[in-house]
This record gives sequence, C-alpha cells and structure tokens, in this order.
Amino acid sequence: MAVLNLTLSEDAVVALRDALICLNKFSDDVSLEAQKDKLILTALNSSKSAYACFSFSATRFCSRYHFEGSSQNHEKFYCTLYIRALISIFRSRVGGDPQRDREKETLIDRCEVAIEDGPGVQSRFIAKLVFRNGIASTHRLPFEVVVPVHAKFNREEAVNHWTIPSRTLRQLMDHFGPGVELLDVNSDGEHVKFTCFTEKTVNGDEVLKKPLRTSIAIEVDEFEDLKIEDSLHIVINVRDFRAIIQHAGISGTNVMARYSGPARPLQLTYPGDAVSCEFLLMTVGERTANPPHKTKRGKSVNSTKGPRQQQLEAASRRQSAAPSEQLQGAPQPQASGHAQSRLGGAQPPPPQHPMLSAGSNVGRMSAFDLRPSQRPAPPPTMRSEGLFVDDYQWEPVHEDDEETEENARLEWDQSVQTAEPTSRMDRTMSDADETNEANADATQASSVGLEPTQRLSEVERMGLFFRE
Amino acid sequence: MAQPLFRAVATSTRPLYQLLRCVNFTNKIHVLITEEGIRFSADLSRVMQGTASLDKKLFASYHLNLGESDDESSQPDLPSFQINLPALLETLQIFGAVDVATRAQKAEQDPYRSNLRNYRPDAFSNQALGIGGTCCLQLAEEGAPLSIIIEESGVKTVANLTTYVPEIPEDIPFDRDELAYKIIMQSRYLLDGLAELSPNGPKRLTITTSRGPPYLTLAGNGDLGTTVVDFAKGRELLETLSVQERWVQTYKFDLIKSSTEAMRIASKISLRGDRQGVLSLQFMVEVEGGGVSFLDFRFVPFISHEDDEDGQEGGEGEGEEGGEGDEPDRGDEEL
Repeated sequence: MAVLNLTLSEDAVVALRDALICLNKFSDDVSLEAQKDKLILTALNSSKSAYACFSFSATRFCSRYHFEGSSQNHEKFYCTLYIRALISIFRSRVGGDPQRDREKETLIDRCEVAIEDGPGVQSRFIAKLVFRNGIASTHRLPFEVVVPVHAKFNREEAVNHWTIPSRTLRQLMDHFGPGVELLDVNSDGEHVKFTCFTEKTVNGDEVLKKPLRTSIAIEVDEFEDLKIEDSLHIVINVRDFRAIIQHAGISGTNVMARYSGPARPLQLTYPGDAVSCEFLLMTVGERTANPPHKTKRGKSVNSTKGPRQQQLEAASRRQSAAPSEQLQGAPQPQASGHAQSRLGGAQPPPPQHPMLSAGSNVGRMSAFDLRPSQRPAPPPTMRSEGLFVDDYQWEPVHEDDEETEENARLEWDQSVQTAEPTSRMDRTMSDADETNEANADATQASSVGLEPTQRLSEVERMGLFFRE
Repeated sequence: MAQPLFRAVATSTRPLYQLLRCVNFTNKIHVLITEEGIRFSADLSRVMQGTASLDKKLFASYHLNLGESDDESSQPDLPSFQINLPALLETLQIFGAVDVATRAQKAEQDPYRSNLRNYRPDAFSNQALGIGGTCCLQLAEEGAPLSIIIEESGVKTVANLTTYVPEIPEDIPFDRDELAYKIIMQSRYLLDGLAELSPNGPKRLTITTSRGPPYLTLAGNGDLGTTVVDFAKGRELLETLSVQERWVQTYKFDLIKSSTEAMRIASKISLRGDRQGVLSLQFMVEVEGGGVSFLDFRFVPFISHEDDEDGQEGGEGEGEEGGEGDEPDRGDEEL
C-alpha cells in the first residue's frame, strides 16, 4: 500500500530539483515529511548550526496528491533520503548534445512519486519519470524512517528584521571573494554593511597574511523594509547564506531576515511558487561597536564544532534577556525575580556606544558572554533549550507552558525594559534628514530613562507620510 | 616498388576519427583491409567486441593492389595487422591543426575581425568543411608500417605507425538464425535509457524483452537504488520489434556503456539477441557525403544461475535453457 502518491508536472520537478540542490548544500540527507495538505523537505547540517525547510503546498505544487498515511500514523509520514540520489533522478535532461533536438524529446512529461511502506512491503521511494518521447524510467530508492528534526524560531523575540530583493543580495554576493567564510551584517544608521571575512590564517601576527576583508554598504533605500538595531553585529556563515541566496534568486522574490541578537538564530524566509522557504542560521557576533578583535572572539566560537552548540545555547540563554520587546510594550509578567537575581549579579561595564546606552544588559553581554569557552557548560539536567528540538517540540513555544526555571532563564529582563533603546534604526526615521537629530533625541531620552510615549507602529505610519 | 599494397586518400579525417573513436576501448585494434573498405575490430577479453567498418566511399580514392596472388588462389590474403588505436586517433587529429594555426594568424592581421566569439569553432573552417587538405593512408607492403600522410596548406606530415602481427581474434559467436528478438530504434533512445541508469552506478545491466508491453526494459541495481527504464509506449519508440519469447540477460554495465559514443553519433540501432544470450548492437552511422557506415558491437552475458530471480520465471521456453548450457565456457573467459 502506497503511503503517498503524488504527480508532479515538469515545472514542479524543476522546483523540486532547485530545492534539493539547495538542501544538499546543508546536508547529505533530506527529511521528507508528508501530511494531508503539504509536503515538507528539511535538512539540518551536521554541526546543527543551519537548518533549511521547504514547505510545498500539496494541492498547488502537485498536479495530484494523495496522502494515505501509514497504519501507525495517519497524520503524517516521514522518511530520510539521500539527496544526491534524488537530484540525479530529478536532474535536468535537457542539454548535452546540441546537434540533437533534445528539447522536445527528453523533456519530462510528468513524474509520479509513490512511497511504499508498511509491514510486508519493501520500504521504497518510487519515482517514475515519463518522458515526452515515451520512455519511462522508474527509480526505487530505499529510505530510512527517522523522525525529522525541526528547528524552532521565536518570531516574537526577533525584533530586528529587513526585507530586500533577492536580486540585490545576489549582486552583493558577487563581490565577495572565494575564500571568505563569515558574513557580518551590521548597520550604522544610514547604511547596512555586509562584511565578508575569514579567520583562517589568524595564527601568526603578520598583517599581510590576513585575507581580504570586503565590506559593502547598502543604502537603506535598497531595502523594502528595515528595522534593525544599530551596531548590532550579526555574523553568519557565508556558505549557508550563499546557498540560500542562490535559491532565492531563482524565484526572484524578496528575502526577509529576522533576528534578535548574536548567538540567537537568524531566520531567512521567502515565498516561492507554491512553496515557502525558511532557513535558520545560527549567528555569532556582538552587539556593541567593539574593537575588531572582539568580533574575532565571537567567531572563534563558530569554528569549534562539537561543544559549540552547547556554548551557543548557553550564551543564548543569557542573551534572551536582551531588550527586544518594546513594541509589545507591557513587560512580561513571568519575568521572575529568579532571572533578575541571576543576571543582576553581573554588572555591565559602561556602554561604549552612546546610542546604545539604554541596553545596559547588552554591554554586559558583550563583556561576559563573548568568552563562552570559559563559562561552565550548562548542567546536564537542564532540559535542552537549544535551537533544535525534535518533532514534538515543533509547536511555537508558549512561555506559560514551560517550567518556571525555564521561564526564569528565558524571560526579558524587566529592569532593561524601562530603558529600552529607541536607537534601533528605522528606515522611516533615518530616511529623513533629521536622522541624527532623532537618534540623538532618542539617545538622550533613553539615557534619562524616559518611557517611550508612542508606539513605534504609530510613528511608522507618520514616517511614511513624511517621506512623501 | 612503384605501387604500394594499399593506398587510400581522404579529404577529411573527421568521419574516420568519429567512427574509430567509437571502438576506442582497447589499446590495440585489428585491421583488415578488403576491397570494400577497412574493418577495424577491437576485442576486450573476448567478452566485448566492437567493429567499425569504414566504407570505401569515405575515401576519395581507394586502391588495394593484391598483385599476382590473384592468379594463384581465388581467395587472396587480405592485408591484416594490428595497430595502436590511440596513436592512430592522435594522428588523425593532426589534420586540420595547420588550418587552425593559419586562421589564428590571419585573425590577428585582420582589422575587421571582431574579437567577440573568437573561441567558437568556425562553421567555415577547413576542418569543419573537410576541404583544403588530404589525408593518405598507405601501406607499402605486408608488415610495413602504416603511413599516414597529411598534407594541407603546404605542410606535409608523415606518421608511420608500427603494425603488429595479427592475432586473429575469434568473433563472438552470434547465431543469426536463432534470434530471440530484433529491435530497431533510434539509437539516442537507447542512449537516453542508459543515461537514466548510469547515475546510479549499476554494475550489471539487465535487458528484458517481451512480446507485450513493456517490450523492452533496461534495469540496473546500484548503490543508491534500483532503476528500471521501459519503453512502454513501444509502438512509437521502436521501429521494428520482433520478439520470439521473453528474454532476460545480464551484462556488465560498463561494457555496454563503452558503446555510448556510438549511440551518440549513430542514427539507428539494431538490437538483437540470440538464444545463447549474446547481445548484438548494430549502429548505422550516416556520414555526410560518405553514405552509411556501420558499427557492430557484441557482448557476452553473465551466466544466469538457476536460482537467480530471472531463472524462476516459469515457461521461459527451451531456447533459453539450451543457451545456458552453452554459456559457461564464455563466462569463464569473462572471469
């Protein structure tokens, strides 16, 4: 009995292939998850620092879709497949010998996919490709039934976000050299800077041995939408980013990035045709405008593999107290004293950036959390609060449901809330000439400790009006 | 000695090169010169054989002087020897090289020539048109080296290739009277079918023919899974189909794959199998201005064991079982 039957048109095969090629840049295996109304392909890289998810709408993507479900589970079916095998099945047959009129001949007419599983049946992923010339090839691939691992992303926490056409990002990537490994995204109020660099030859103090560091400043106008904190350095892996941009460039849609702070996941999303693409990348970096050597510190975390995840998790626990929820206004009621006493123990050094004076715990974070290797690993009894959880924890996190201890660690620091920085760069504000003034005002206000008087959403509306 | 034993002049080496490249799976190749043309036979461990027949029409002039021996016996000894095929192919590629150099020189001097698309092969180059030079294959006498004399643009290249004593390879026996099936189709369809199998990296290729749909299937079992290609809409794909009985044989995939170059240049293929399981692939290659040339491949199958899944199929007919009895000696050669 086939668990799943679906038929793909030629265009759908192309879209599937593009997705698989993108997934293959993260992992060797893809997790396929079939549900009644959608088909989800996910991949998690080996160091668990990047996660890719393509969610295909069953009815729109497939010309025929029938999910039967297995006897054990009627809701969903999942399996893991070797991506290379899939890519070779769905590869493009066009091309090759130009002398032959292959265009008409070897095009895929349709593709029928069936997944067979169950007692007494060989577990196989069966793809039957029917070509226009009448040849049909049937590929039977073995698979492994593995519960897929999904990464979770707390959208409420991610207050920084920007949206930009994928084309612009693609052009940007062209300027980055081949040896770069890390990408630092930060802003100075008027521009958003994408800095590419590598830390590979850091041994030895010879300056000339350092590889090229390319920084590209993009005007705020290039973004469709932008709201990020100034001088917040978010560092991600270039290879992952490149893979995503390459795929996003195919559909040419706008890419949206959301993130909260360093060592918290960064989410990149964009819609495709009948597919929604989501990527989560683990970030490192720092929030304040520190000297460059500190940036390096953050990255050295990135280079370690095994224990790194733990460290990032540990760091993320503390940083989750970062100011981020000023739009929500009301401080979280669960912000217990537990958390405050815990965090309050470490007093921050005076912030170096006047614009960020409000984020007191930010300063502390960069001073302490940037040395994660010296911090003891979290107690093993703690429930893993990592980026990646298994399938059953896929649902959005409800703080209320968590244990109190968990809450204590996760909640916003109330003391910080009052001194929330308004210095985050807002396109609507910075667009006008009085950007500096506004920032200065904001800084002043926040350092005095005034409560924000207006919701930012309201200001945004006005800003739009002014801009015209 | 005025008259060489054999002398053939071609205005272009391109068709020769194309045809010979198809049988380029062994180092040494057996050459037999007849009145009708030259036969190049390659043999790989008696498991695979490939023959390229160069028709005399491919040559502008073709002379075989068998001399007085004609009077003594009705069957004169035709010149036969072995030659290093890669060396011959290399030599044939010299043709046209001078032309390229001349044109490059001309291009530099020509102020009107655009520097765009310089890298493209020119449709009007001498090499593409096959004009502007001659290539002469000459054998002075039995045992003498094969001379390839290339003349173009005032440059004359003479290459003498050592000939070796012929080994007289025994042809793989193919019983034309006991055909299990005969299929004629466009060769690219077979190529497409094999291209479906090859990413999987199968070791063996199983060819199945049947009277009813799917008529012809190619199957391979590789590391990544199983792939089956069928020609189910056979009536359009297969021009001629005559199947006596269901027939299943397994071949080494890599051997079949080495005939893909032939599938690429050929227009049609005749796929035949005899009751002993020998597979014969005949390719018809249309050469511009040179009529039709044929490439002939034969493959010996793996021994099919009784306990194989193929053997479990009931009612296979006596032909196949009889074939299996004959096979072991060929199978041994394979190993």
